[in-house]
Amino acid sequence: MTETLRLVIPSSARMEDETVQFLAACGLPVKRTNPRQYRASIGTLPEVEITFQRASDIYARVHEGTVDLGITGYDVVAEYQREDDEVFVVMRELGYGHCALVLAVPESWVDVTSVHDLSEIAADWRSQARELRVATGYPNLTRQFLYDHGINYFSLVDSGGALEAAPSLGYAEIIADITSSGVTLRENRLKPVGDGTILAAEACLIANRAELGKSPAKLELTRRILESMEAYLRARTFVSVTANVQGETVEAVARQVMAHPEIAGLRGPTIARVYAKPPHDDEDWYAVTVIVARKRLQDAVDAFRRAGAADMTAVELAYTFEKQAWSYEGLLRAVAGTHQVPATTP
Amino acid sequence: MDLPEIYSIPGTRDALPPQRAVERALEARLQSVFSRYGYEPIDTPILEPTELFLRKSGEAIASQMYSFTYWNRDLCLRPEFTASVIRAYVNHMQDRALPLRVQYAGPTFRYERPHETRHRQLTEIGAECIGAAGPGADAEILAMALSGLEAAGVRNAHFVVGHLGAVLGLLAQLGMDVRAQSLVVSEMEGLAQSPNDSAEVVERLATMLAGGTESDQLSQGALAELLQSQGAEAAAEITTTLFERANLSLDGGSRSPEEIVARLLKKTSRPDPVPGLRRASHFIRELRHLAGPPDQAVPALRRFLGEQGLDDAPVRDVERALECFGSYFDEAPPLVVDLSRARGLRYYTGLIFEVYAEDGARLAGGGRYDDLVRSLGGHETVPACGFSYVLEGLLAAATPKAKEQSARSSVDLVVAPIADSDYGAAAHSAALLRRAGLSVEMDVGFGGVNVNLRSATQRSIPLVLIVDELKVGAGSATLHDVRASSEATIPSAELVNAVLERLKAYA
Repeated sequence: MTETLRLVIPSSARMEDETVQFLAACGLPVKRTNPRQYRASIGTLPEVEITFQRASDIYARVHEGTVDLGITGYDVVAEYQREDDEVFVVMRELGYGHCALVLAVPESWVDVTSVHDLSEIAADWRSQARELRVATGYPNLTRQFLYDHGINYFSLVDSGGALEAAPSLGYAEIIADITSSGVTLRENRLKPVGDGTILAAEACLIANRAELGKSPAKLELTRRILESMEAYLRARTFVSVTANVQGETVEAVARQVMAHPEIAGLRGPTIARVYAKPPHDDEDWYAVTVIVARKRLQDAVDAFRRAGAADMTAVELAYTFEKQAWSYEGLLRAVAGTHQVPATTP
Repeated sequence: MDLPEIYSIPGTRDALPPQRAVERALEARLQSVFSRYGYEPIDTPILEPTELFLRKSGEAIASQMYSFTYWNRDLCLRPEFTASVIRAYVNHMQDRALPLRVQYAGPTFRYERPHETRHRQLTEIGAECIGAAGPGADAEILAMALSGLEAAGVRNAHFVVGHLGAVLGLLAQLGMDVRAQSLVVSEMEGLAQSPNDSAEVVERLATMLAGGTESDQLSQGALAELLQSQGAEAAAEITTTLFERANLSLDGGSRSPEEIVARLLKKTSRPDPVPGLRRASHFIRELRHLAGPPDQAVPALRRFLGEQGLDDAPVRDVERALECFGSYFDEAPPLVVDLSRARGLRYYTGLIFEVYAEDGARLAGGGRYDDLVRSLGGHETVPACGFSYVLEGLLAAATPKAKEQSARSSVDLVVAPIADSDYGAAAHSAALLRRAGLSVEMDVGFGGVNVNLRSATQRSIPLVLIVDELKVGAGSATLHDVRASSEATIPSAELVNAVLERLKAYA
């Protein structure tokens, strides 16, 4: 019997679309026979079974081991993860689903612009036996953040939904909630506190160490998924630039190009002879191809010009593979790490 | 399929036999020291209302508490004993004659961050003297701490004695409010560092007191100057009008517009806390510099406080307490007077001390807390002081001799019936021996002679009594002396004496 690797992805509208797009871009197209079904498969990896669940439940499914891998917001993971957890964060940043957990106060609190203001109010209120109530669905992260910022006197109000309404309905003074654009906060006459970002998060990939540790077949499937994701994410940070450079010989052109660190490439340039058309057919031209960081593209173009390049093209890379998948190596170490039994003697 | 193993929580530990017996014996020795000083046992719940420790224990502890809400009640696992003991005093014992001397022992809980999870549950053994003011009571606590260390077999521990009065006096002189004082006291270690290293602490405290972002710096600029030049009422009116004209509503949320405006104005007139903090840092660094053995530190500190225009009462307190302490013992323990020290708890008001092992591990700590009774709702101000040991620290510091005992099981003898039919006779013998005060283990599994001898050897149990039908019929049993590898047939009537005789050889 072939073993099935179980991957759970978010079913909420925006996260679902973005995740399906991400997987497709990684070369892992999600095949769903019926859009109302909660099961799907990956065309290129038939041994992988995909299920759809609410982002907030995904952590629990991976934790209990009813699925092997999950994609969910890192905010959920940070809130629920425990120090001796079976859940391991394999890839922390998948490059989409960005959001932030922020402290927000009523817009009318014009005297509050920083966390310090809140700590002062909390301390003042403390002496008046008044309590600063914070409504949040992220009690662990919020509590730790407030402690870290010297706010020790507060109470957390657990709130299922409609957190933004808590201050105006009067069951909390301030809130700590997830926001991506800030629109919902504004609509509820709330404003984020300047330095009150508790956590910046995006989609991440998590795994159950014990489940993967039990099955070499599942580990191998996971490796293939990680290879694809890593290669895709890495490729997005690079572009391939090809420039025509005039020079005497291949070696001369190589020296000419490599004198400019911006265009020395990842390992070095690839140089090929160009058979130039008239009227340049008596000159020696070479095509030089290097991989450069996307955000340094303009620097590379300028450097090529200084090196005597005439025309340049830049193309996106689909995938970039390195000698190994780093996140897979990390996963292997995590899987091998056995549970630490606490010492019995002091 | 095997069910998964369940492990203890990180930072907690299982105390296993025979090690646990060593711990119990140590606890008992310390408790008997406290008893000999006239301290009576008290116990309080492990589970307490969170509020108890928020009131006065300080911010450091508030952020380390295991607190949670259960059925709408805010609860926590006690992070320390003193607040609980004082709560019990306030609840039940305010009508008792003072001073009241109590001792306690039990687990306390503090949440340490994952990378430092060594100890989230610690065993504290301590004592509180409620209703006694002055250096005499402080000295008794110090003396008891030293007596306990001797009983525990800890050698070469050293005492560091401080007094919060000096620093609190300076902070009052600087006009710092309660919150600023609390922050400074909680950061005394950081502020005592070199000017370069403490600068960072000063900056952090300044941020906590006055904010660090640009928008927090409202006390500069033309508007601030204008508002500061007005009286409080006029300034509030101007500000309120400005907001109205700008069509900015201050309604909504649980704070009134007046409250918001008042705080905004407070921000505009807030003095820069940095000079005060620098002064405090410098002062604490001087105190640290003057720390040393009492005969050097006391006169130097007295002079220094005088120069600073501060009352030297804290130094006199320490001096007198140490004199009293010295009269308890022929030889004074190594001791340093250091007024730059604070303890993690915010309720201390006077003399404080900590005891360290040779390797620097903290073994005990305590001090005077004269405001705590009142803060926890007591009718009157009741002076009090106390201290506690950390059992785990003491165990690690105890001399090898004290630890040696851990190898030997506390069981004196194993009674081993060979067959089911021997059970009755064996149980009878076991009962006789137990009545004689011995620790007797019964082999309820009928393991046979060899198994029992092997197990007794491994566990260092000195004797094994084999009970089998033949001998029982003859009114006797076989007593094996494990270490001497000898055996003897003992008549039932002589059993107890024979066993006691042989155990004497091992005592």
